[in-house]
Amino acid sequence: MPDAVTIEKLTKKFGDFTAVDQISLTVGEGEVFGFLGANGAGKTTAIRMLCGLLLPTSGNGTVGGFDIYRDNENIKKSIGYMSQKFSLYGDLTAYENLWFYGSVYQLKKKVLKDRIDELSEELGLHEFLNRLAGNLPLGWRQRLALATSVLHRPKILFLDEPTGGVDPVFRRRFWGMLYDLADKGTTLFVTTHYMDEAEYCHRISIMHHGRIIELGNPSDLIQKYQQPNLEELFVQLISKKSEESADV
Amino acid sequence: MIQTILALMKKELYQVIRDRNMLRLIFVMPIIQLLVLGYAINTDVKKIDTAVYDFDRSSLSREYIKAKTAGDYFIVSSENPPVLDAERGFKENLYTAALIIPNDFSENFIEKKPVNVGLLIDGSNANSASITSGYAEMIAMQFNRRQLDIPEPIVMRQQMLYNPESESIYFMVPGIVAVLITMITAMLSSMAIVREREIGTLEQLMVTPITVPALIIGKTIPFAILGFLEMSIALLFGVLWFGIPFVGSWSLLYGLTFIFLFTTLGVGLFISTVTKTQQQAMFYAWFFSIFAILTSGFFSPIANMPEAVQYITYLNPLRYYMIIVRGIMMKGASIDALYPEIIAMIIFGVLIFTSSWLRYSKRVS
Ligand SMILES: Nc1ncnc2c1ncn2[C@@H]1O[C@H](COP(=O)(O)OP(=O)(O)OP(=O)(O)O)[C@@H](O)[C@H]1O
Ligand SMILES: [Mg+2]
Repeated sequence: MPDAVTIEKLTKKFGDFTAVDQISLTVGEGEVFGFLGANGAGKTTAIRMLCGLLLPTSGNGTVGGFDIYRDNENIKKSIGYMSQKFSLYGDLTAYENLWFYGSVYQLKKKVLKDRIDELSEELGLHEFLNRLAGNLPLGWRQRLALATSVLHRPKILFLDEPTGGVDPVFRRRFWGMLYDLADKGTTLFVTTHYMDEAEYCHRISIMHHGRIIELGNPSDLIQKYQQPNLEELFVQLISKKSEESADV
Repeated sequence: MIQTILALMKKELYQVIRDRNMLRLIFVMPIIQLLVLGYAINTDVKKIDTAVYDFDRSSLSREYIKAKTAGDYFIVSSENPPVLDAERGFKENLYTAALIIPNDFSENFIEKKPVNVGLLIDGSNANSASITSGYAEMIAMQFNRRQLDIPEPIVMRQQMLYNPESESIYFMVPGIVAVLITMITAMLSSMAIVREREIGTLEQLMVTPITVPALIIGKTIPFAILGFLEMSIALLFGVLWFGIPFVGSWSLLYGLTFIFLFTTLGVGLFISTVTKTQQQAMFYAWFFSIFAILTSGFFSPIANMPEAVQYITYLNPLRYYMIIVRGIMMKGASIDALYPEIIAMIIFGVLIFTSSWLRYSKRVS
């Protein structure tokens, strides 16, 4: 199985501060990969480097088989990105947002129309299509953002805290949609703070102060550390690391 | 590429249309500006303080002065001040006009030779100066008509100080049009991109395969369209409401305006590459507009500026456009007369666009 994402010693420094510190990992094609870590661990920074929004300080990486330094243009054609911050046009309607991004990806008129229909069917967006995106309730905004980022059928989808701030019912449904995408072969690279969501992932990595401190299958990790669930595991790992760094 | 550009343009225009404040700014501002100007023009200028130099001291000269100052318009504020102080009086705002009756006034009159009087006008307030001049002309004519026995009409020779071109509303309206589109296009274009950066949509755009040229073109053309709209409103208002004559070619003016918009949009774009927030962008655009207006010859002729400042004006695209708008509207200038200005604007536009382009490419990677 070819790899969708490979990272080798990827590092990003902002001045003296190292936000991402030599992280290495690979994500297989079709995999649902959970990219976990506490606030400020460096998750967003790492994703931004993979999406070509930020130039790494050092290290290597490929996305969809394309080099992150040299093949930015090809990477952009094969990825979708749903950012942590709501970043659609609040003064355009849901439909206009979808139409705009579809046009930027140069989808043919007919194709674009069909996809918008299809996606709003799947995500239950129909009745919201003519409302301004800025006036949508949070959960619907996130569905719209998801729809926008998959309009062009990307092979790899980066989702940066896609379910931040929405209720559990919404989250459950949202993950149902993500699983549908994964079933169709899309690779998902997801960050989240919700450990119940992390359990849906095939594999997870846990980041702390810019480093990856653990990586593996959720149930394997739970067994390895003999914890009742991921939540406990996460808390224990992070506090242990924090103590270690406090000792130094 | 075309599809992307069209999508960007459509999106941008939708956003402007949805923004009530923006609409008000774009459509109401030109009309208010022109109306304010219109009221300033229509206000009667009365009680013009006048210094009178009567070198003739004859009954005829006194009669002439009496006629001149009979109405509400000219008030004698000082009689026979020292000659060399005429200009100082202007500078100290003692009077704004000076009537000069030469010592051969009655002599020429009797000998049936041409008779002259002089009128100096402080031209620093362009509007009241041109009205003053009009009144003086009118009164002189009335005097001539009453004195039917005079062989030759008395000729009044007028001289406007400080503002020899005698700016009037005809001169101001084309200038206002130029100023309006400068401010609107520089401000809107600089803020449009920074706003996307602020709310995060620029980042979302950057992960799409959109190219920098497509982004730049798609983000600037909508504002060029708005600039044309703005200009058309102001021009139509000026022509229909104030009856400003439009002597030259409309199509030439629109064509050259396109080149000018290239420079102001380029400046807006450049500002958006050096600023982080909409507020910053607005401040920079405002600063540019003020600089451009002050060194454009809009308020006072460039020839009256200090020499160092005169050189600086060459860096100002509005300086060239001001000449173009006034030339085409007032004198019917043809393209042949405007080549230096056109070339200067093209150079400015190409330079500013290229540098913003380079800065963009750097930022994206
Ligand atoms: N442009 C920047 N300049 C300087 N420091 C930055 C920059 N971007 C991020 N950082 C810092 O890098 C660190 C990692 O930030 P990042 O946003 O990647 O964390 P995160 O794991 O996504 O956190 P969260 O869960 O809160 O989203 C933070 O301490 C942040 O302040
Ligand atoms: Mg983050």
